[in-house]
Order: sequence, then structure tokens, then C-alpha cells
Amino acid sequence: MSTAATFELSRTVHFYHIAGLSVGSEIMLQGLHAAAAGGDTPDVTIRRRPVPAAIENATALGPTWQIAGQQFLLRIPGVARFLLTAGKEIAFEAEPGADTGDIPIFILGTAFGILMHQREQIVLHASAVRVNGKAILFCGPSGAGKSTLAAALAQRGYRLITDDFCAVTVTDAGTPVVHPDGRQLKLWAQAIEKLDLKQSRGERVRSRLEKFYVDPGEAHLEALPLGAVYELREARPPLVPGIERPNVADAAALLRRHAYRPGLVARLNQKVLYFHAAATIANNAGIFHLTRKLDFAAMPEVVSLLERHWREIGLMEKAA
Amino acid sequence: MTRRIWLASYPKSGNTWLRMLIANLAAQDDQPVGINDLAATTNIASARGSFDRLLLIDSGLLTHDEADCLRPRVYEELARGPDDDERDPRETPPAVRFVKVHDAYTLTPLGEPLLAGARGADGAIVIVRDPRDVTPSLASHRNTSIDEAIAFMNDRDAQFSANTTKQDLQLRQKLPGWSGHVASWLDQTDIPVHLVRYEDLQIDTVTMLRRALQFAGQAATDDEIRRAVQFADFARLRQQEEEKGFREAPQLAGARFFRRGEAGGWRDELTPDQAASIVAAHGAVMRRLGYDVTLAPLAARSGGARERDCAATG
Repeated sequence: MSTAATFELSRTVHFYHIAGLSVGSEIMLQGLHAAAAGGDTPDVTIRRRPVPAAIENATALGPTWQIAGQQFLLRIPGVARFLLTAGKEIAFEAEPGADTGDIPIFILGTAFGILMHQREQIVLHASAVRVNGKAILFCGPSGAGKSTLAAALAQRGYRLITDDFCAVTVTDAGTPVVHPDGRQLKLWAQAIEKLDLKQSRGERVRSRLEKFYVDPGEAHLEALPLGAVYELREARPPLVPGIERPNVADAAALLRRHAYRPGLVARLNQKVLYFHAAATIANNAGIFHLTRKLDFAAMPEVVSLLERHWREIGLMEKAA
Repeated sequence: MTRRIWLASYPKSGNTWLRMLIANLAAQDDQPVGINDLAATTNIASARGSFDRLLLIDSGLLTHDEADCLRPRVYEELARGPDDDERDPRETPPAVRFVKVHDAYTLTPLGEPLLAGARGADGAIVIVRDPRDVTPSLASHRNTSIDEAIAFMNDRDAQFSANTTKQDLQLRQKLPGWSGHVASWLDQTDIPVHLVRYEDLQIDTVTMLRRALQFAGQAATDDEIRRAVQFADFARLRQQEEEKGFREAPQLAGARFFRRGEAGGWRDELTPDQAASIVAAHGAVMRRLGYDVTLAPLAARSGGARERDCAATG
């Protein structure tokens, strides 16, 4: 395969677009639409090769990770070790006894998200849907309901842009833009049942988890201007359901809090990067709190609340 | 160096009350600390936030056992440094960081202490409460019958946040029966323990709080302690919940977190059979803690109570 030879991938190569980047991978990544092979060297290559247990001259280290210059080592015990280099390569080695089918989900999420941090790009822990040609982001920590809300909106015709992480760049003209990648949703069995999505259910994301890939229907694959960012919050006292706009300082803190891995923003000296991005997004699009009950029964209300808000902020035509 | 102290208890045993007492030591402007100002999600050992943030791994992509294997790393890391990236590094770190925990003191599948032993904390304040009072409170909290609460407290395999078809807000917590839970904390030898009985805390809050703080290494003046005891008085906590709601309360209509808060309230809530079954299951640990296992429910609440009184006198 001549294409493969140009960037020295030895095995069968799978091509994808992830967050606006071209990716060549030696391992098939479930949960992504395959892309046509491009002639150029991909932005990111994913290879199976020996990965050390430690890297030399680490300048920062945590219990499961180490940083040394352009290298980032991450270990998911019992699954795999990942070595990320210069935002361009993800090397992985399965841990002894690992189910290799468990590896792609960690490449697609954790490893690629950290790689985006390494590339000094704004990357948010968010899902996103398309509303009237703009990207609407929903931020929150794992378990906040990002994917479930995106799934519910996709059912109502708002196309899915991304799930789990969301790359944002700012154009020369100062417009924040979101890069989709046609990834599938990941939903727990309960959400699939409550949203009546059994027919769209795909493979398990890991053999031992009741969490599945779910086909979102037609996904949106082109870059889109950012329309709004919502932080998902649960309506527990003293918070009540509704949408409000935090002040600029709080909006900046909000954005950094919802970086894909907030701890890395400080470690990789990206606080200024995120601060500027927050100012741009707050001015061009809007950063909001969306407070709602974490209850499937409340979903229609949440969608109406959002649609009302989209009309208010001019994302949707006002009802006649 | 900040000392880390677990506030360890079986659920519904006074953990939140003690947290409110401690939080009110630092009450500002002569105003009680709001019940919703307790750092609810980050300040419990089973929070997902610290796990995900420090390990960079989504706990939601791990099985419960896999997460358990990694949890000791989280507590070691927290013990090493500030547990909040957002905290101003110029701020003086607190002398003691109290962290709530409902997990029993168990070992991970790899055989190490889940809470990282002496590497995870300097000690534990273990709060216990008569299981006959825990039962109705637990039933109310979990929206179950009293009998179901009794069964849960007898179950060596009981757990919180152990769903496998959805992601619970917190990491899975093992609660191997009320006796198993209490014994796991009192019998471990990794870290020093200071035992507080809910009932004693109620009788002499000032003294019990002062002793617990001494154990923890937290300085407090008598005035601060007295004020904290007033501010975190049960009636005032309950009033706050009635007025503003409590974020840690069960999310059910009409459910209340601060319910009765009495010692011995069980005597008008349990049937004699229920009380007897709790004593049968947990008598050994109850005696160890000094609870009077011979007490019976107050008469005449149910037919059962009357029959037993008749049998006893007849």
C-alpha cells in the first residue's frame, strides 16, 4: 500500500477524521465513520508498538501519567499504555491479559483528548449538536448527561456534531469554530431504553460495560461556527431549572473547568489560551448555565427550554 | 502539611451533622454555614471528580472493580497536595482536611486498602449510631420499607452506586452490612481511629466535638466550638432544609434529609419483631459499642408490641 508506506504504517491502515484532523490508524476505531484514504501524511498516526512503563526526565507525573517535553505517557491498568508524541502520534501497547477490543474507546476518548491538549488546541469535555448551521455545545463532567441530551436532540432532528470531546479553534477573523468528526454516541443501557433507541444500538464500548455505541442518524461532518456553550448542571437545591448567563470571569472559569482534562490546562501552561478562548466565545456566541433535573421525564421540558432560548438569542427564528 | 482525616460512617449515622459542626467552626459574620455550602460532590471519598481529574481516566469507562484498584492512587495523590487546581496557591492550606466516606474499610481486588491506608489519611473519626435508629432513617432516605432497610443492613454484599446500566454520580461503595461496616473501620490497624457515638454527640455536643477536633489536630477555641454547636443545631439544620432544600437530600418529592435526628426514635418506629431482628443480626457489635440491646419498642404502636408485652407479663 503506497499510501501507508509514505508514513510508515506497517499494518492495515484505517482512515478517520477526528476533530478536524486526518488520522491514520493501525487499529480499527469503532464508533467513528471511516474516511477515504488521503494521499498526504495524516495529521495523527495511531500505531501498535512497544510502550515503556516510564519515560525519562519526566517533568510532571501523576499516578497514571507522565509528561516529558513532547511526550505524554498514560497507563490504563489492565487495558493499555499509550505514548503520545508532539500531538502527532499515539502509540499503544496492550497490557498483559487485556481484551484488545477494550482499547479503541480509550484511544478515541482519553488518549485523543489528551493529544488535542498536546496540540495546544481548545478541547472541551462536551457533546454538540447543530442548530441552524451553528454548533451548540453541552459541557459537563462524565455523568452530567452530555450524551443523553445530545441523543434526545438528535431524535428531534438536530444533527449530532460530536460526543465526549469537542475541539474549538478561532479563525483569523475571530470566529470560534467547532470541528466535528462523525463519531457515534456512547450511551448506557438505561438511557438507550428510556430514549427508545434500541434500534440504533451498536456494539458495547467495552466488553464488560453496559455502555453502547449508538448511531445518531445522519451526523454533521463540516466545521461549524460555534453558537452557544451550555454548562450542564443538575437542579438540586439551591439550583433551580433554567438558563442563565454567568459574568465574564465566571464564564472563563467555566470554560477551563470543562477543558477535556482541566488539570492539563495548568500543567501545559494553557491558562492564557483558555482565557482568550473564553472571552472570544462569550462575545461571539455565549456561555450559559443550563440547570435541569437529571430525569428522563424532564427531557421534553429541557428541549423546549433550549428551543425558547435559541429563539431569544437569535439562533432560531421566533415563532410566528 | 495538611492532615487528612476521614469522617467515616455507615449512611444515616450523623456524618453530615458532624461535617456541619466542623464547617461552622469557620462561620463568618456570625452567620451559620448554609447546608448547601458543604462541598457536596468533591468532599466525599467516592466522588468521581477527583478520580477523573487526577488519573485523567474517565471512571465511567471502568468497571467498578477496575476503579477500586485505582482508588488508592487517588487518595495518595490527594494526600500529597492540594486537591483543587482552582485553589489559589497563595492561600494557606488548611491544617486539617476532613473528607466524608461511606465506604467500608475494605481491600481492593489487588489486596491493598481501598482508601490507601496511612498513605491516604492520618486518621479516621468513625461515627456510629444505634442501628435501630439508622434503620428508619435509611428506609426514608432510600424510599424503602423498614424491612427492606433491615435487609440492606444485614446484607454482606450491599453497595451504594453500584449500577451497571447507568453511571451513578459517585463511585461504587461497599457497605457490607451495618456490623461489617462498623467492624471494618474499628478493626483496621492502618490508621488511628477516634470513635464518636451519635448518641453521645447529642448529649454533650461541645465535649464530643472538642475531643474529635483534638484527635484530628484541628485547633478551635471554646467560643468557636460553642458557636458551631449552636449554628449546627439539628433544628436549625432542619429549618434550613425546609426553607431552601438540601442538595444532598433524596431527590423525591417530600423527602427530607434531616428527619428526626433523635436518639431512640426507633422505639416508636419499629415493631418488636423488627427491633429484635436487628439485635439478632447486630447484637455483638451493638454490645461492643455499648448500646442497650435489651430495650424494646414503646408499647402499643402495633399489635405486635402489645402481644409481646402480654406474653412477658403473663
